[in-house]
Amino acid sequence: MTILEGKNLSKKFIDKDKEIAALSDISFTLEEGEILGIVGESGSGKSTLLKVISGLVVPDEGQLIFKGNEYNGQKARDTGRFLQYIFQNPLSSFDPRLSMEKSVLESGRGKKDLVRLYGILEEVGLNKELLQRKPSELSGGQCQRMSIARALYSGADILLCDEITSALDVSTQAQITKILHNLKDNGKLSAIFVSHDIALVRMLCDRVIVMKDGKCVEQGICEDLISNPHEEYTKKLVESAVRQSI
Amino acid sequence: MKKKKIKAKIIVVSAIAIMLILVTVFADFFAPNDPYTTSASSIRLAPCLKYPFGTDNLGRCVLSRVLYGGRTTIAATFALVFISFAIGAIVGMLCGYYGGIFDKLLMRIADILLAFPQMVVAIVVAGILNGGLGGAMIALGITMWVSFARLSRSHTYSLKNQDFIKAALFAGKSDLYIIAVHIFPNILPPVLTNALTQIGTTMIGLSGLSFLGLGVVPPAAEWGSMISEARAYIQIAPWAVLYPALATVFTIIVFNYLGDVVMDYREA
Repeated sequence: MTILEGKNLSKKFIDKDKEIAALSDISFTLEEGEILGIVGESGSGKSTLLKVISGLVVPDEGQLIFKGNEYNGQKARDTGRFLQYIFQNPLSSFDPRLSMEKSVLESGRGKKDLVRLYGILEEVGLNKELLQRKPSELSGGQCQRMSIARALYSGADILLCDEITSALDVSTQAQITKILHNLKDNGKLSAIFVSHDIALVRMLCDRVIVMKDGKCVEQGICEDLISNPHEEYTKKLVESAVRQSI
Repeated sequence: MKKKKIKAKIIVVSAIAIMLILVTVFADFFAPNDPYTTSASSIRLAPCLKYPFGTDNLGRCVLSRVLYGGRTTIAATFALVFISFAIGAIVGMLCGYYGGIFDKLLMRIADILLAFPQMVVAIVVAGILNGGLGGAMIALGITMWVSFARLSRSHTYSLKNQDFIKAALFAGKSDLYIIAVHIFPNILPPVLTNALTQIGTTMIGLSGLSFLGLGVVPPAAEWGSMISEARAYIQIAPWAVLYPALATVFTIIVFNYLGDVVMDYREA
């Protein structure tokens, strides 16, 4: 079942009187229980697409549909009911003056269910004692796991992950990937996973969209597309990922 | 280590500041004489046991007047700084958070107010308002809120783009909640530090206006007006000028230094 759909999404920004097309005619679907990867170089429009989907940025054209209902023009305050954004920098995604408990419970929209929260923390491999700490007292990996816990606690159907492992070291990246893997295997996760790390996307995602200059270069089943890319740009991305891994 | 040293300084200076406040608040208890009782037989008496700071031209006890005057000066200063802080912080947060025409309009007004020296504006406004403590406070407050507003605005502007504010939006929180729970507590330390550094300046401003006859009106005790009254006979009774002047200088130094060390602590 398609849970989220984007049709012909376009977004232009104006920079010093020059119009820049950040997104041009992008269409995609996200099935329930699926992780959709979005890859591309810096400036390819991956994060803009995520911001458009989340309501942080309003698209100039196109349609956004959640479970058959169009939600164009809805702001983050409303889209937060069904999707949650996990940010690249885990530390800055929490109020530095609040305890983790306050920040995480905030996403519950007034409902306080500590038993459920403790269960979620266990799922993401965190000790409940960490809830009393402030963000600066947690490591980057712990903070990012707390971000995932906050998103899960909100009860949202979809997670939007914006380069969530890029600010972390390799071993912490692996931990976060494992958590997402487990959530996916348990059928608890529908997500869009933006990354420039093709190896990570291959490991985690079911399908993938390759973006360049705000356009969709190609999309398809993750394994097929990465092992047998059709477009020159995708081939280059895959080759550079292989070279990096060597 | 450096932070520890600064913290120790803050504790010492805060203790002195609190003592100053307490002495003036409980002036009734500490003052040896009635600050308003005149005495023809004790005019311009040099410091002695009965009048430790001497007496003025009307035979009033200078020490008692310094203590009562401190109450007026310090209370008026704190009230003015607090009101300016509250108005400036609210205006700054709203401008920084919402931006748009409201922000542009208020910031241009702030620019215009900053284009003139604060004391010049205060003298003009206090003159129009015919002086008095209330008039002096309004005169200084007209320009004082601006620094708080600009500081709050710039901090709010950078905060509103932080990911944790976006996270609060995804949690469905209202603008009022975000401003009250996430923005205000985060901009409070720098704005509060600014408020501390403004205490000294405000005290100078209030005493200055009183000195010029545009603030507290005699016979009410206030350091600026006491200096103004006594300067006419400074050569025969220098103590009547010296002690209120020393009290002003000492209090300003204490609060300015407190502001500086708090700022150092934040930057350390």
